[in-house]
Amino acid sequence: MSAAAADWLPSASVTASGRPVLSAGEVERNLLPLVDLVPEENPRLAPLRGCLLALTSHRLIFLHEASRSARGLPLATVVHAYPPHRRHSHNPLRSIFSSSSSSSQHHRIRLQISRPPAGSEVVAIVVTCKADVDVFFGRLLEAIRARAWETTPAAAPASGAPVAEGAALAEDVAIRMPVVGVSGILRMEQESWESAGQNLQDAFQDLNALMSKAKEMMQLAEKMRLKLLTNASTEPNSNDEDMGSKQDMQDLLLSVGIVSPVTKETAGALYHQQLSLQLADFVRIPLEKAGGMMALVDVYCLFNRARGTELISPEDLLQACSLWEKVDVPVMLRKFDSGVKVIQTKTHSDEEVFARISSLAQKPDALQKGISPSDAAFTLGIAPALAKEHLLNAENKGLLCRDVSPDGFRFFINLFNEIDAQNIYTQKPHGLYHAWISVAMASQ
Amino acid sequence: MRRRPGIAGLQNAAATRDQFRLVGENVAKVRTDVMKEQLATFRSQLEEFARKHKSDIRKNPIFRQQFHEMCAKVGVDPLASNKGVWAELLGIGDFYYEIGVQIVDICIATRSHNGGLIDLLDLRKLLCQKRKATLESLSEDDCLRAISKLKVLGSGFEVISVGRRKLVRSVPTELNKDHSGILGLAQAEGYVTVEQVEKEFSWSAGRAIDALETLLKEGLAMIDDGHRDGKRRYWFPCVTVSSDTTGSETKS
Repeated sequence: MSAAAADWLPSASVTASGRPVLSAGEVERNLLPLVDLVPEENPRLAPLRGCLLALTSHRLIFLHEASRSARGLPLATVVHAYPPHRRHSHNPLRSIFSSSSSSSQHHRIRLQISRPPAGSEVVAIVVTCKADVDVFFGRLLEAIRARAWETTPAAAPASGAPVAEGAALAEDVAIRMPVVGVSGILRMEQESWESAGQNLQDAFQDLNALMSKAKEMMQLAEKMRLKLLTNASTEPNSNDEDMGSKQDMQDLLLSVGIVSPVTKETAGALYHQQLSLQLADFVRIPLEKAGGMMALVDVYCLFNRARGTELISPEDLLQACSLWEKVDVPVMLRKFDSGVKVIQTKTHSDEEVFARISSLAQKPDALQKGISPSDAAFTLGIAPALAKEHLLNAENKGLLCRDVSPDGFRFFINLFNEIDAQNIYTQKPHGLYHAWISVAMASQ
Repeated sequence: MRRRPGIAGLQNAAATRDQFRLVGENVAKVRTDVMKEQLATFRSQLEEFARKHKSDIRKNPIFRQQFHEMCAKVGVDPLASNKGVWAELLGIGDFYYEIGVQIVDICIATRSHNGGLIDLLDLRKLLCQKRKATLESLSEDDCLRAISKLKVLGSGFEVISVGRRKLVRSVPTELNKDHSGILGLAQAEGYVTVEQVEKEFSWSAGRAIDALETLLKEGLAMIDDGHRDGKRRYWFPCVTVSSDTTGSETKS
């Protein structure tokens, strides 16, 4: 059953590889595989079956993996959550109506949710696998209590927001104290920076202070960054240290990305599987920039940078990549004979390169003398080692034929496809074979 | 201001404008200085927090995200674990992973001007700058160990020796565009020398030698030490054939 059936829940968007798309400031807290959502009292509401349940700071997302669709239950609507329990068969009638006889063995977390027009409903999250339900429930309560949905939209400012904030602050000051002349402006200026400095000191007293002031500090950071970047661009002759720090900023800025990294803690047994999906989503854009192929080591660095302090080990990365074979994602891991491992997009891998190679092999010169890996490397603008790999692949596909001589490998376009097995001596008046013959005749 | 006619009036107005500009510049300068100072505090505090409260920060996912964002905005590297006893003895913990990530980061950042080949010492200096550590506190062995942890990710990332120097190569042969450049250069005469390559592309000696040696290993180049000037020539038979085509055709 697809998640589309349960249209009483708002739908949630899903990334290309089937991970929930989180809104700004939303963070994933826990994952449970194979979960059903069963309305307990209202039979008109369709249940959800066999979903991956992702608990975030804002929502419960029921992800149907096969159809890659998802439904989200906002935590804001949860009025009460009852602790998990295993239902015993003291109520035979209910267990008949619920899906299978074994469901009485499963943990259920009942939730009372509010549905504005109809009042409230009681739904049950039925956990059909062996997972740590208590941990999940603990996190659920935490998330409901934290009420992150009320605070975070402001904490994740859009790029334009901090500027507006600054302007508002200035207006505020202006009202309190009339700005008179140059000195007024100066005073205002000074006050605004003094308060920023004070704020800075307060925030870094201890960790709790920083946590509560995180929002303001992020705005301050953004303000400073914009100022410094504009300053640095207007003063080309700034000193080395400035340039260095600016470089730092831009370097790191490029690498912020994954707001809610999959961790062992949140995903548990699903860690590698979810990691692999998140990686597939993440790697798409860097791959495009790099022309469709990247060394695995580079991906390791970029991915970890995007995750911030939640580093993954090289082994985990490798395992995540190797899981791609089993799911439908647009990227793949490729190993060269030399032991080099790269990640490439599936589209990049073959068709485009083969088309270019075969057009290269059909040039008059190449028809006669063939192409060597270094020729291909030179025209395709890639490394000779990779070009050789591509040529061998093209040979495997039947596009090329090889000729091995003391000079090394040379590849020719495959003419055997052109020859009609029934009538081998007739040449067609056009086509590859014809082109080849005319070139051969001309050179004699 | 009362408008006064004549040259004196004009001069006066100009002087006032100048004064205003001076004040404005002063304010701007002071403001930038104050901000730089605040930024420095901000950075050092963030760095300290990243070191001290690492596990606490990781425990709270929402704050973790905010912390990362702060670090990113003011340009602080949040990876700042101390080495610790366990890392030293057993090589476990985040320390070597962190250095590994930072090493690759540096390699990628400097790739545009060194072609993915960096001196280990330079790398260490940049690394220390990133981690705000002294050169002594981060030994060569630490770097080598961190690099060896990346081995699982394929053989492209490795430490090679050129003479007495140790170089870190971050671009695997398959993705190295230097080689095509050399092949292009060789099209002119069929051979290249190390000096020629260095001059043409303004590469470091190590980079040119490494690329040529790789081509040699791939079987694309042949060495000729017998020339009168004593300079080693790298011949590329495959390239000569294709560039000679036009010549041989005109002859025949």
